[in-house]
Amino acid sequence: MAIIKTFELSKHFNNLEVLKHIDIQVDQNEIVVLLGPSGSGKSTFLRCLNGLEDITGGSFEVNGIHVDAKLPARQRKALIREIRQHTGMVFQQFNLYPHKTALGNVIEGLLTVKKMRKDEAVHIGERLLDRVGLSDKKDTYPSRLSGGQQQRVAIARALAMDPAIMLFDEPTSALDPELVGEVLSVMRELAQDGMTMLVVTHEMKFAREVASKVVFMADGVVVEEGSPQAFFDHPQTERAKKFLRQITEH
Amino acid sequence: MDLIFENLTFLLKGAYYTLLITVVSMFFGFIIGVIVALARLKGNRLIRGLARIYVSIIRGTPALVQIIIVYYGLVDYGITLGPLTAAYVALSINIGAYLSETFRGAIQSIPKGQTEAAYATGMTPWQTMRRIIFPQAARVAIPPMGNTFIGMLKETSLVSVITVTELLRSAQLLVAQYYVYMPFYLSIAVMYWIMSTVFSSILNYVEKRLSKAY
Repeated sequence: MAIIKTFELSKHFNNLEVLKHIDIQVDQNEIVVLLGPSGSGKSTFLRCLNGLEDITGGSFEVNGIHVDAKLPARQRKALIREIRQHTGMVFQQFNLYPHKTALGNVIEGLLTVKKMRKDEAVHIGERLLDRVGLSDKKDTYPSRLSGGQQQRVAIARALAMDPAIMLFDEPTSALDPELVGEVLSVMRELAQDGMTMLVVTHEMKFAREVASKVVFMADGVVVEEGSPQAFFDHPQTERAKKFLRQITEH
Repeated sequence: MDLIFENLTFLLKGAYYTLLITVVSMFFGFIIGVIVALARLKGNRLIRGLARIYVSIIRGTPALVQIIIVYYGLVDYGITLGPLTAAYVALSINIGAYLSETFRGAIQSIPKGQTEAAYATGMTPWQTMRRIIFPQAARVAIPPMGNTFIGMLKETSLVSVITVTELLRSAQLLVAQYYVYMPFYLSIAVMYWIMSTVFSSILNYVEKRLSKAY
């Protein structure tokens, strides 16, 4: 069953075409990793799926909710809000709320969006912080957490909404090298627990070991997709070969 | 010195009005400021334009002129306000414009990622403002707001021209009665200074408390 399906999804900023007729499908329990050189439109694509960017052409479906570029803005907004309640997003820059504790960050959406009672929300929040290995930090403010810890709180915050799919937008790119591992291992655990994930990353090892499918994008189009083994060991296109050469050279 | 002590209750009454006008104008100015700041950030083109014109006019004209227009000018259109009401109205409108600029800057200083993170969990724009942006913007806005407040305290002396017996005018009345200038004017200067200093230290305390929060 497809959690995400896009139909000729397109996006342009003024005259700059960033995404050109993208067709991608993410099935339930699948881990799809989006790879590609910077500027290829991976992050923009991800942000289109929960409406942080407006699409300008085509349509997409998330968890059965269909959004078409041709719909009037008002109607699209309502659908997008619906979609956001079924998707979790993790950002490159964490974007934790600095005025709230780790626990406060995790339960914010439960309190405001799901209108949950505080004690219930706290119960869920504590469980999720435990899941990302930070139960002892629940009363700590983000400014006192390391980058890796902040990102794990951000993952717990996204999980709190009980999403059908998790979107990761370069979750480890802003981290010091020694902190990358702890975030990736939380993501691996999520994958093992059957979470459906769409991940934009530059972590090739993660892509190779965890992904069920790799999608390679360049210049706003999908150039190649397939199993990680196929992609990494037998890339079909010149563009993908060049990309793989460049990242393995150093 | 004796003259001052004899008339101290009169002067203190003036100080009371100075404080009252400051607090009331600040209160309504605060509300105007928030509304205008949001109008400029979130409104459609018409609302944004109106808000911008309001701020531009108020900041581009002297407060004294604004006070006189409200008190004397509006009479031409059948609107007669009491001196104290006119003072509240004129100063609230005046301070609202300045505060709206403070608030707008504070809201804009919060990184876009905060809004995106809130939207991504399904929060509405209003929930995001109230729960995520305002609490952070408040911290940014409080120091300049404090300065505005202290500025307001001193600017209230302008309303003496529309016969509100605040601190300056109570001194002027005493001068007219006793024909001595310096003792009365010096003593109100001291009273202004004391009030400003007390406010400053309260503000410092608030700022410290807030900066400790996270």
